[in-house]
Amino acid sequence: MINRPKTKDQIKVTQINFKKELEAASKSMIMIHDPKLLIKLIIRMIVRKLGIKHAGMVIYEADQDAYVLGISRGEPGLKIPQGFTRFDKESPIIKFFVTKEYKALTVSRNAIVSDDINRLIWREGVLDKTGGNGIRKLLHDVDEQMRMLNTTACVPAYYRHKLLAILLLGEKNDGTKFEQDELDFFAALASDAAMAIRNAQLFKGLEAEALRNRQLFLRTILVLGSTIEAKDSYTRGHTERVTKYALAIAHQMKDNGSFEFDEQFFENLYIAGMLHDIGKIGVPEAILNKKGRLTVEEYETMKLHTTKGVDIVEPLKLPQVVLDGIKYHHETFIGSGYPQKLKAEQIPISAAIISVADCLDAMTTDRPYRRGLTKEEAIAEIKNNAGIQFRPDVVKAFIELCEKGIV
Amino acid sequence: MAKLLVVDDEQDIRDFAKSFFQKRNINVITASGGAEALELIEKEKPDLVLLDIHMEEMSGVEVLKQLRQNKNDIKVIMVTGVEEESIVNEANSWGIRGYIHKPLVLEELEKIVIGELGTKRS
Repeated sequence: MINRPKTKDQIKVTQINFKKELEAASKSMIMIHDPKLLIKLIIRMIVRKLGIKHAGMVIYEADQDAYVLGISRGEPGLKIPQGFTRFDKESPIIKFFVTKEYKALTVSRNAIVSDDINRLIWREGVLDKTGGNGIRKLLHDVDEQMRMLNTTACVPAYYRHKLLAILLLGEKNDGTKFEQDELDFFAALASDAAMAIRNAQLFKGLEAEALRNRQLFLRTILVLGSTIEAKDSYTRGHTERVTKYALAIAHQMKDNGSFEFDEQFFENLYIAGMLHDIGKIGVPEAILNKKGRLTVEEYETMKLHTTKGVDIVEPLKLPQVVLDGIKYHHETFIGSGYPQKLKAEQIPISAAIISVADCLDAMTTDRPYRRGLTKEEAIAEIKNNAGIQFRPDVVKAFIELCEKGIV
Repeated sequence: MAKLLVVDDEQDIRDFAKSFFQKRNINVITASGGAEALELIEKEKPDLVLLDIHMEEMSGVEVLKQLRQNKNDIKVIMVTGVEEESIVNEANSWGIRGYIHKPLVLEELEKIVIGELGTKRS
């Protein structure tokens, strides 16, 4: 059989199919958010479907402040090993693509192609009679560097004028030159990759910022919770201990299957624990630090710290679980507590847990007017009050913790 | 012709280094691990060894140590990762001509290797 040369139309057909293939692939790539994975796919497609001997992507790495050849594929010996080489900012190819006056030379082609370089050098020579100007020298250096990388075309990828990546392309298997529509496609792919890199960077930045904000928020809660301790001498360390006990009890309740708490609940319980006595800021110091029993009137004022607490934190728009913990931690199981005389299951779980933790700490610490109970006495007291002052399942978890020796 | 031994457990790097230096008139042999490297150094007597520090089976420093303990003073250039000062210092104490950090600048690699092989290139 005679191999006939392909007619122009046949060539055209293959080119159109290949274009369609690229378009389809690039559409599916929009769904991929991991830039490294996306670039891997692009490189693989270029090498396999477009018949190029090797290809690689040089990516800007902020921590090294350099461009690193991160992903490559193709013929052994020709392809540059992944992660093996870096390009500093002074590197000719990088300089070429980041400097405005040089960049302009590639605009019409979307790339720098080795075949163009000599033409460009010649043109620059004609334009600049003084000879040996910066552009010619740089073009020679770029040519040299591309040879070193077995590269025939470099396609830059920018995001808002910042060079994020460069696609390095080896020769085509059939030895033909790159057509402009091919280069345009490469530029489109490279810009997809740049967009993915940029998005990943932004996402990483957002995540870091969210984490910083969260930490700042939690530290603010810690500070806010500690302010009351400056006013009320006996509460030193009280808020942190109560929070610690409350969290331990909640974990035990989750472990023994009484409640299905999620991570969010534990965070909210932490905040509620830290803020449960914040309303005492609104109670006169004479009452807070009074040695001896409070009068009925004084006691009524003291009781207001629960509702004052939720009023104080109102602008923070905290979750209901937190507000409940602050407001109802003095309610009792039989409905004799305050501020609303809620009963049994009416009392939100965060408040029921804080109630046990709060009483444990109050009982075991010394007060101006009495010595604290021993741990054993306090535990017995809490046990005796299950179903009276405290919710039985909370007390059960608490006793389990004591048996384990955790509290 | 100058002879260079490239020791790296990554096939891609061996392939690339081989073609890269062959184009520069250097006879390149490669080894994928420490034991093979020690054998080739004995048999082929290369002029220079480009030795990767991180290798699974035997580290570059271990290869270097064995060479020096056998009174072999062959020229060695270490290829290291970033921020490995202590390992570089250890390698240095066994006597190396220099080291280069990965990811490396190709022009620097070329300069340092050709600088060492100098006039032996034909």
